[in-house]
Parts: sequence; structure tokens; C-alpha cells
Amino acid sequence: MKEFMRNTWKHRAHVLMSLPVFLVLLFFSYVPMAGLVLAFKNFDNSLGIWKSPWAGLKNFEFLTSSKAILANMTGNTLMYYLIFTLLGTFLNIVLAIAIDQLVFKKLGKAMQSIMIIPIFISYAAVQFIVYAYLSTDSGMINNLFGISTRWYSEAEHWPMILTIVKIWNSVGYGSVLYMSVLAGIDTEQYEAAQIDGAGKWRQILHITLPSLIPMVTIMLLMSVGNIMRSDTGLFYQVTRNSGTLYETTQVIDSYVLNAIFKVSNFGFTAAASFFQSIIGTLLILIANGIVRKVEPDNALF
Amino acid sequence: MSKKEKIVVKSKKKVGISQYVLTFFLMLYTLFCALPIILVFVSAFTDEKTLATNGFSYFPEKWSMTGFNSVLRYGEQLIVSYGVTIGITIGGTLIGLLFMSMFAYSLSRKDFRLRKFLSIFAMIPMLFSGGQLASYVIFTSNYHMKDSIWLLILPLSVTTMNIIILRTYVQTSVPEELMDSAKIDGAGEYRTFFQITLPLMKPALAAVGFMLATSYWNDWQNALLYITSDSKKPLQLLLINIQKSIETLLNSRNIPSAALAAMQGSIPQYSATMATVVTVIGPIMIAYPFFQKYFAKGLTMGSVKG
Repeated sequence: MKEFMRNTWKHRAHVLMSLPVFLVLLFFSYVPMAGLVLAFKNFDNSLGIWKSPWAGLKNFEFLTSSKAILANMTGNTLMYYLIFTLLGTFLNIVLAIAIDQLVFKKLGKAMQSIMIIPIFISYAAVQFIVYAYLSTDSGMINNLFGISTRWYSEAEHWPMILTIVKIWNSVGYGSVLYMSVLAGIDTEQYEAAQIDGAGKWRQILHITLPSLIPMVTIMLLMSVGNIMRSDTGLFYQVTRNSGTLYETTQVIDSYVLNAIFKVSNFGFTAAASFFQSIIGTLLILIANGIVRKVEPDNALF
Repeated sequence: MSKKEKIVVKSKKKVGISQYVLTFFLMLYTLFCALPIILVFVSAFTDEKTLATNGFSYFPEKWSMTGFNSVLRYGEQLIVSYGVTIGITIGGTLIGLLFMSMFAYSLSRKDFRLRKFLSIFAMIPMLFSGGQLASYVIFTSNYHMKDSIWLLILPLSVTTMNIIILRTYVQTSVPEELMDSAKIDGAGEYRTFFQITLPLMKPALAAVGFMLATSYWNDWQNALLYITSDSKKPLQLLLINIQKSIETLLNSRNIPSAALAAMQGSIPQYSATMATVVTVIGPIMIAYPFFQKYFAKGLTMGSVKG
């Protein structure tokens, strides 16, 4: 202990240099974690979060009484997580391999640069772009096909629309990571395979894909923690927060955001947030545990 | 070595048909990415009447600059919002980079005992978080920070991922001997960090800095939640407000027609809105090519766990 104190004193400069990040995390990440007690409180704005009276598990009763809403938004959250993660990872890899295989290197680089741009456009702006395509009267899609679909009030189209927007937004960017792994593969491996008579497809199957597995595992693991969270802008902005679409577009995060603005259903929202945080953490711990059993090198911690 | 080999391979084999098929599909995907962005620019330069009667199109009948004229109608607010967004982006990026690189440097000191605790402390927020509601209540009712510009800066300034990127870079790419010899020459801890380490971290700083800057530039959620006064409104919030005002006008059928006619001049029109979008996304698209090579590198570094 004494030695520890001495070591810390010796490194007082480093302690001081760590202090700003420590404080930012403490006040903007850790204190809000403690704020999750809201789920067990009967919140009164005039008393504040700590002094509000305890409510026991009353808030969680709202969860069961509003089962339909909870089931709908949890279901949507999970559905989009699965679509985006599975399809996204698949497309990231396909795109990375495709660009890597291209012999016109300069052209590949130029195309990739364009594919990355969408990630830098905020959803507040993307929303206007989507509107230009989907607006009922002046939208390009309706004009092009001579139809008059009311896109912003027909919920059944939105899983597809949101998936397309998400792919447009993030696949180019996501593939950069996998490309950097591919660039690190020793070219001798491919040549040896070629001499052995392996064609392009066999090379991809036996050399390229296996080399991507560690990166895929890490990326999936990191995303598992966010399984209950969503890219809020996509669901709140791109859908114009249109109530008629909630059936297929309401996720937990956008529900909470709406609840904050409407100051409604506070108990329910607090309980749902609590549920969201706990499930996310549990899932990442479980997933990491499984990976550590199977392939310790690929585990996150 | 590898480059040479690739050239040999290329010259030996003729470029097969499959390469052209591949190019074709990649071109298609590139178009898919680029077309929506092109549409923004085209409609920003489309004549408002043409847009209203024919709808959005890549080949408008009539071009016009009036969209940008009406951007000037938001004139003052647009300039204020630009100022706020630029201020937040530059300020936040610098603060974030300074805080996180100091932290990352301290974590990379091997004989610093406290570093174990500090790494775990920085890791946990990646695994567990209080969520939006708890943060909102804490920030507004406990910290009384509603409408504070700091809420746009501080919460985004530190992320675990970026700390890992910076720490990995210090550990792998900044030679320990340089820092040791600086200390032997009598430089204190702070001088060693600011004069030796920090300049050597430039590639990592550029990568992290660009990602930070993008997240500040594009942040709408914190602004929507916390900012109420016009003087602190960033660009993204301005975009949201424009959309909201269009919507209210479209939905309010029972406004007397005289009032509507009087308001007609102030209804934000499509081409004007698109022109505003152009002014918002333009700067990032101009800055992006300069940072591209750094940020691909930075992403790679982040993937090295440790």
C-alpha cells in the first residue's frame, strides 16, 4: 500500500494528466448510471432525482400493463439490430473483398472515397434527402413510377426503407476496417495457393475469409452491447417521427426521446430505460464469455 | 515487395472479363451512394416553381439560384448557427484530443500503478450506460445545465474507443527511448509530453480528431434535448427547426387564408431547404479528402485491442 502511494506520488504528473478524462467520465457517464435509480423512484421534478420518494417496483408494473407498447418497441429494436448487424457485416465484407480484388487500384480508391461520404451527413440532413425521394406529391419515386403511395403514413414499407438508408449510410465506411485487414495479408499466401492450382474463389474461401474472422468477432462483440440501443437519428429523424409509422419504426431510444419531450409516462420510460441498460450489459458479458471459451484471443476482455 | 509482385502478376495475366464485371457492380454501388447527394445539389439549384409542379428531379426544366437567396432569409440565424457549430466543432475537438491524449499517454506508462484502475474506469462506460433519460434528468435537474453550450461539448469529448486508439498508438509508434532521453536531458513530465510525445502522435491525432469533429458537426440529439435559445442553436438544430416549421404550416389547414398568404413569403420552400442542407453538409465534404488517409489508418489502429 505504501509502495502504491509512493508510486502514485512519483507519477503525480500522470495522475493530473488523467484527471480531465476521469472527471468528464465521472460526471457525464458514471453519475447518469446512478441515475438509473429513477426506475425505482416516483420522480418529482421539484424534489430532484435523489430526494424523490421511492416507488418500489411500481414503475415496473407499467411495463406489464403497457405490454403491447413495450413488446412493439423492443421487437423493433431487436429486429433492426439483427438486420443491420447481419446484413451490414455481410455487405461490409463483400465490399471490402470486391475492392481488394479489383486490379484497377486507383479506380477502386476513388470509388471507395465516394462510398464513405454518406457517413458524414447527419440524419437531420439525410431526412430531407429521403423526403425528396418519398414525398407523396413531389417525391421522385412516386413520379418515376407514376404511383401515389403515401410513404410517410404506410408503416409496412419502413423496415425496407430504413435498411436501405442504413446501408447507404454505413456500409462504405464499415468496409474500410475490413479492407485494412485484407491489405495486411501476405501476398505469398495467395501465390502459393495459385501454384497449388487454387482458383480465385478457393483463395477467397480459404485465405481471405479466415483472415477476417478475428476482426468480425471483435466488431460483433462490440455491437452486442448496443443491441438494445439504436441509431436514434435513423428512427427519429428519417421517419419524421411520424406517429402512423410507429408500428414498425418505434425503437426504445426514439420512444425515450419522445417521452422526454412530452414529459409523459415517466415511470414507464424510466423502467424501460433500466431494462434497456441491464439487458445490453448482460448480453455483452454473455457474448464475451462465450467467445473467451471458444477463441480466447478474440475476446474483448 | 508486395507492390512489385502485384505488378508482375498483373503483367503476366490479361485482365479478365470478371474484372470488368466486378468494376461494373462497384460502379453501381458507387452511384447508389452518390446519387442522393447529387440530388441535394441539383434541387438546391432548381427553380422553386419547377420543383413544386414537377417534383424533385435530376434533370430540372429550369435552374435557378433563388434557393440560395432564400437561405439568406435565415441570414442572421444561419450565420449564428454556423458560428455555434464551428465553435463547438473546433473547441470540442481540441478539448477532446487534449484530454484523451493526456489520458492515453498516462495509461501507456508501464510503471504507473494507477493505470490498471484508470483503464477499467475508461472501459466500463462502453459496457454500461445510464441511457438518455437518466442523463437528461441528471444534466438538467441536478447540474442545471439546460441551454448550456457545455452540454454540446463535454459529453461527446471522451470516448473509450478513441482512448484505445491513442493509447495503442503511443505504445506502438512513439519510441520510448526518445522520451527517456528527453527526461535525461532534464525535461519534466509535462514538457516531455507536450514537446516530444504529442508532436509524434500527429497521425493518430488527425484520425481521432477527424472522427471527433464529424461527431460534433453532425450532433443533433444533444442540441435538440438541451438547447433552447437561438444564440446557441447549432446548424443541425436549425435544420430540424426548418423541417418542423414546414410541417406545422402544412398541417394547419384552418389558418385563415389571408394569414396564410401573408406567411407565404416565410414558408421555407424545397429548393431553399435543400440549399440550406448544402450549406450544412458542404464543409464536411470539403474537409474529408484531406483527412481520408489518416482516418483509414486510425480505424485500423483502433481495432488493435489491448
